[in-house]
Amino acid sequence: MIKEKSREKGRERLSDGLVRQNIVLMSSIAIAPVAACATNYENALALSVGFTVIAFFSVLICRFIPQNIVYTIRIIIYAIVAALVFIPAYMLLEFLYGSEVATGLGVYLPILAVNPLILTKTETRFRLRPLHLMTLELAGYITGFNLVCIGVGIARDILINRRIANFNVDLGFTVPAASTTFGGFIIVGIAAGLFRWLYNQSKERQSKKAEKEKVHQELLKLVES
Amino acid sequence: MGNIIGDFLAAALLSVFLQNFILERALGINILLYASRQKSNVIGFALGLCYITVLSSAATWVLDNFLGEHEYYKMAAPVLYVLVIGIIYTVSLIVIWKFFHKLFRKIRKYVHLTVFNCAVLGALFLNSQIGEDIFSYMGYGFGTAVGFFIAGCLLYIAHERLNSELVPAAFRGMPIMIVYVGILSMALHALSGYVV
Repeated sequence: MIKEKSREKGRERLSDGLVRQNIVLMSSIAIAPVAACATNYENALALSVGFTVIAFFSVLICRFIPQNIVYTIRIIIYAIVAALVFIPAYMLLEFLYGSEVATGLGVYLPILAVNPLILTKTETRFRLRPLHLMTLELAGYITGFNLVCIGVGIARDILINRRIANFNVDLGFTVPAASTTFGGFIIVGIAAGLFRWLYNQSKERQSKKAEKEKVHQELLKLVES
Repeated sequence: MGNIIGDFLAAALLSVFLQNFILERALGINILLYASRQKSNVIGFALGLCYITVLSSAATWVLDNFLGEHEYYKMAAPVLYVLVIGIIYTVSLIVIWKFFHKLFRKIRKYVHLTVFNCAVLGALFLNSQIGEDIFSYMGYGFGTAVGFFIAGCLLYIAHERLNSELVPAAFRGMPIMIVYVGILSMALHALSGYVV
């Protein structure tokens, strides 16, 4: 029973960051890299790898920074830690995708060092949880970002180049403006609206189901009595 | 003197209209969405951004000039820039706390959001790519704040309508605001001569 409860809690934490508080589509704290930089599948993948390394290790290290240091200084330390983690992340990207892709991400990779997920959420959420739940929650947030980033990258790749990586996907038309920042904004905005609609639908369905179950239980009780 | 003002203004105009941080580069969009809920927030954030970007731009010009040629500077730059921002932030907060108690109480809730965000750090990085002398660095920093203010005002004006019942529930608020920012960005692209 206890195991099941803790598993349930873990699942809740994971889905929290993945869906309910998705940092691109729901809380919009990491829109910039996706809108401006995820212009194709390769860039999106590289950005996701960079974000994973920077966010995961920064938050993990920042968790152990003593809380008796005043917040004004603590937030600077968080940012410095993230900026230091950027160095191996950049080297990894260079190793995996070559310097062209790593440089192509421009300012959008280093600015992840001051992402609110690291600076704010570490303080308001991650520090407050036990380590295993924090790791699950963080994994949820990071996976949520990565899925959206890669999804947007794929969509833009199809719209601009009629391909995903090396596979041709011919829609019969192209949308060159999808490569621009305004194209990114519009795609992310529409994706956020659709995502919220789906989320609201599933929530409504769940609450209806729970209500039905409640009525059913009450009826059963009445019949029994 | 004329050259100094010219460099400053040219860089400021460039970063307001042609390379607007929010609309052209998407930097600081999360702060803009937060700030645009209230007029006072837009002004407060723009002032904070102006102060921190102008000062840290001047400081990073020194760093870029002395260390810019170093092999590993590109990788170390984020740490150095964050340190610069951190020092300016801490010193400023101490001064405000010592001499302007009322102001300190007012700003302490969101001052870190104004200072540690991608608009400030992004401005410093772009400065290092296109800035030439210290005045163009500072001008670019100043233009970043003006650009933020303009984008903030445009979003604030539309805020009520974008959150009204005219908009479908799922798109109300953040999603439609991002689409709106996209349309503003498209207009600015057109102004700078974008052709498909």
